[in-house]
Amino acid sequence: MTANTLVNSKLVCVALNDKAQLAALDGTFNEAPYKKPPTQPVLYYKPRNTWSVDGAEVEWAKDFDGNDVAAMAVGASLGVVIGKETCRVSADEALDYVGGYTIVSDFSLPEESYYRPDIKGKCLDTSAPVGPEIVTADKVANPNALTVTVSVNGEQKSVFELANMERSIAELISIISRIMTLQAGEIIAVGFAGDRVAVAKGDKVEASIEGVGTLNNTLGGA
Amino acid sequence: MRHARIVFDGRELDIDIDPNDRITTSEGEVLDVALDSDQITWLPPVKAPGTIFALGINYADHASELAFEPPKEPLVFIKHANTLTGHKQVSYRPDGIEYQHYECELVAVIGKTGKNIKREDALDYVAGYTVCNDFAIRDYLENYYRPNLRVKSRDSLLPMGPWIVDTADIPDANALKLTTTVNGKVTQDGSTKDMIFDVPFVIEYLSKIMTLNPGDMICTGTPHGIVDCQPGDTIVCSIEDVCSLETRMVSEQEFYGDKY
Repeated sequence: MTANTLVNSKLVCVALNDKAQLAALDGTFNEAPYKKPPTQPVLYYKPRNTWSVDGAEVEWAKDFDGNDVAAMAVGASLGVVIGKETCRVSADEALDYVGGYTIVSDFSLPEESYYRPDIKGKCLDTSAPVGPEIVTADKVANPNALTVTVSVNGEQKSVFELANMERSIAELISIISRIMTLQAGEIIAVGFAGDRVAVAKGDKVEASIEGVGTLNNTLGGA
Repeated sequence: MRHARIVFDGRELDIDIDPNDRITTSEGEVLDVALDSDQITWLPPVKAPGTIFALGINYADHASELAFEPPKEPLVFIKHANTLTGHKQVSYRPDGIEYQHYECELVAVIGKTGKNIKREDALDYVAGYTVCNDFAIRDYLENYYRPNLRVKSRDSLLPMGPWIVDTADIPDANALKLTTTVNGKVTQDGSTKDMIFDVPFVIEYLSKIMTLNPGDMICTGTPHGIVDCQPGDTIVCSIEDVCSLETRMVSEQEFYGDKY
């Protein structure tokens, strides 16, 4: 965890919140090991060892034999920063609890399975840069209308309109706040494009949201 | 030596407890109070809680109880401090569910930063051991990042404590009797010797993936013997030579009060 992380105590990420990805995986969800489609948001944590900042290098992961892994991937999300204690709120009032917005890049091993918590893939040191800053909520009129782009070495690789999320920001805050009481400064990464972007050692990754900023990071290992 | 965090006489205190149950604060003040006194409010024993790692199906008999093959590598999931509560505090049962059970577990508390820690050095990174009750709600299980956050990340459903016992005081963490009682009746009777992946293995495993830091915790899973718990039940999770953790179940409405 970097000393100047923007995250306070918790970074919750929402997987499988891209409608197109859900449609593409629909057949798979009825097979083992899933057996039926998810009925609830699919959530995971990026723990504190992953938290990093704008401009930081992201470590290239090692496998269990100590060798560099063959492949890594990145997805980017709007980061919803909780502004005050949020406990069991309704979707109608949920946005009143948002203090601001930022960007979360989630570097990981390629997503292969959603069956078990992906500790090996997702909990890599420095793999969750958050930034470049927190834009206060009053500066973002309609967060569900934002578009998240990911560019690698200057070339745009992914465009995700939040209008294509299965569940809106307010729905997610409401549902998550009925699982856990959220505290000021905790961040929810509300949705990633279903197709993660492959990255290589030394790549420069830019995650951008108009009005929120651009988060720049470089892969290590080069 | 044992270490805990309490509220006593209106003050939040870090305390040490000696073999004669004498309590000394971090300022050196001796407290004239018995360990079982109602004047003590027990807080979760880790002062600055970090990442909480919990193991699923880490006892072969529990794996068969749940109709799972024992895993070939640890099944690890993550929890955060919102789930923690202390000894003699309450945990809640969500409304409208069929099956919520306790999980009595040995917890290793990380005391030193490390990455790529070798199994033989692993205990150097453990500050001590405590007990947790890693409640689960089976109704909420789905096969996505299972056990999912809806099952395992709820407020108050990870009571821990009452204290941390120094690593040096537990010569073999895999030879400890583990029992749970519900309203005084023994419902779980096992031993940490039946753990599939022991603490040194898990530390080596996790630290190959990521850096472990002081305040991180590893909850090592539970053996056979789980039963449904209802509001009003008193559950006591005990591990020999470590501690006994008492929890009272309440309803969701009682727990959340005005926020319900």
